[in-house]
Amino acid sequence: MRRYETIFIIRPSAGEEEINKVIENTRQIILDEKGSIIELNKWGMKKLAYLIKKESLGYYVFCDFAGTPAAVAEIERKFRIEDLVLKYLTIKTADSIREDEIEQAILAAEQRMTIPSDNQDTDSVNDDSVEPEAEETDEE
Amino acid sequence: MAQRPQKKLFTRKKTCRFCGDKESVINYKDVKTLRNYISERGKIIPRRIIGTCAMHQRQLCEAIKQARQIAFLPYSGPSQG
Repeated sequence: MRRYETIFIIRPSAGEEEINKVIENTRQIILDEKGSIIELNKWGMKKLAYLIKKESLGYYVFCDFAGTPAAVAEIERKFRIEDLVLKYLTIKTADSIREDEIEQAILAAEQRMTIPSDNQDTDSVNDDSVEPEAEETDEE
Repeated sequence: MAQRPQKKLFTRKKTCRFCGDKESVINYKDVKTLRNYISERGKIIPRRIIGTCAMHQRQLCEAIKQARQIAFLPYSGPSQG
């Protein structure tokens, strides 16, 4: 298992249902490949730094998961076909992750979810929230 | 070699902010921090001007390029949206 982070941008014209469908498809692919989702977060509508497919707004979805390279390939293939997805980015954050590490990461993600307002306030808080998970993967 | 003491007087020693602050980690999602390291045109500011150390400048470059890919930062043009 490897740990990945995927961010994808959905067309702003998409409805709530369509957005949920794309997310559900992604989740299904990860679970089919025996991976597990650590964090799935809808960042919502954001302004893009440049136009993508003539859109200046985009609905961001962030997904942190443990999975196999095959899962990533499949997700990206689906994104390329899907018209609603403007752009996606997958980044590998850890080369290997064990079951107990996954559980720890899920717990850490849940804790962060309970204080989401603090994350956006200052840079330092934002940094702190990112650091612990990186340390965990190193230590175990 | 003509010496220019005046220039020397006014140059402040640049320090790497990430070396000084061990807490901060360079992350491509942290757009607020990355904004400090790109020019108004969206270019990455060179190390000789901003003073980050080689290791952190490399990480910074990668983070900025990743942020550009997912439209957090512009490839060119004003950084304000």
